Amino acid sequence: MTADVDEVGTEAPDRRRERVLDVVGLLARLFLGVVLVVAGAAKVGHPLTSQRAVQAYELLPNGVAGWVGLALPFLEIVLGAMLVLGLFTRPVAVVSTLLMVAFVIGISQAWARGLTIDCGCFGGGGQIGANETKYPQEIARDASFAAAGAWLWWRPRTLAALDRYLFGH
Amino acid sequence: MAKKTTKGTGPANARQAKIQAAQKSGGGGANKIVVATVVLVVAIVAVVAGVVWSENQRQSAIGTSTATPAGATMGEGYRSFADVTLKPGAPTVDLYEDFQCPVCGQFEAAVGPTVDELAKEGKIKLVYHVLNFLDDKTGAKNSTPAGNGAFCAAADGKFQAFHDAVYGAQADEGTDVTDTELDAWAQQAGITGDALTTWKSCVADGTYTKYIASVNDAAFKISGFSGTPTVMIDGKMQDLGTVATPQGFTKAVEDATT
Repeated sequence: MTADVDEVGTEAPDRRRERVLDVVGLLARLFLGVVLVVAGAAKVGHPLTSQRAVQAYELLPNGVAGWVGLALPFLEIVLGAMLVLGLFTRPVAVVSTLLMVAFVIGISQAWARGLTIDCGCFGGGGQIGANETKYPQEIARDASFAAAGAWLWWRPRTLAALDRYLFGH
Repeated sequence: MAKKTTKGTGPANARQAKIQAAQKSGGGGANKIVVATVVLVVAIVAVVAGVVWSENQRQSAIGTSTATPAGATMGEGYRSFADVTLKPGAPTVDLYEDFQCPVCGQFEAAVGPTVDELAKEGKIKLVYHVLNFLDDKTGAKNSTPAGNGAFCAAADGKFQAFHDAVYGAQADEGTDVTDTELDAWAQQAGITGDALTTWKSCVADGTYTKYIASVNDAAFKISGFSGTPTVMIDGKMQDLGTVATPQGFTKAVEDATT
């Protein structure tokens, strides 16, 4: 499509719009990607804390939650790194968005059930005092990450993505 | 694409169309599948390797020794002053502490002597739950060696003395406990001679690491348990602001005495 508009002067505003959207996509990619890498890296090397953080949601059987706690940091790092590189942006964006939606659901149900936990989003986590919970902030934050993911799901084409160099689109 | 081909009439355009068609039906598609497969495999291997590595780290943090201090089983707190006869109606005080926790240090500085006194007089059944969650959180080897030091001292009847020595000269949060610090606590607790040699190898072996981890796990399964210090009197979680003074603690104990 971009090759076409090169030839037709009247489509220039369209092209500029596309370019702007590409840049927005790049920012969404870097934002979500860096957040995921940072969130994952913060948990690596703290397996017990990470497991306890997942178990504190009281959603999964303790054993399953333990494995999730071990795997999640690395999944986040892999997803984040691929977003930063712009590699298979759409499928990675789909998984990342669903992950963020799952986090929002997890935090919301903890809030609704009256659990008092730290989300453990960037390390830490587990039960905390009733007056220390930050559910609205945590949900808003994760929702903003989900929004960045949804953007890339809807429009995965971004500036300076590995996808473009490898597959030319 | 269609627009372009209908527009182009010259040989250059025709050639370009052919090249594009060739690119499309040729390497492009297959290439993407190959790359996708490779990336997916690498991603899965990375996550699985991470899980295996973390599990090993977790296992080695817990250790294998199944030793428990006298009078306690896995997951249970350790009763200090166990030889003291309790006064009738004396409540049970459960103290959940991590040797690395600075607030525990402040609590001990303020109320420690009072707690010891009440336990010595048989006015409370004093049970310590020595936790080590801060080691995993901070990445330091601090709570676990200190906890081992305390339970290895228990074999020599010096748990309380060692416990008080640790809080009297607490190692900074987030730093590894040095042998010098451990030895100083042992000396302060009065562990000497052959007992000291036994104590040293007991600590070096991490004899009670698994026990401490089990107590730690059990604590975090208590509803509303959020960290250390936590004070429970007859199973009721106390407001720290109230029991963190000698008067407040004594009153809470008296209120619970039946």
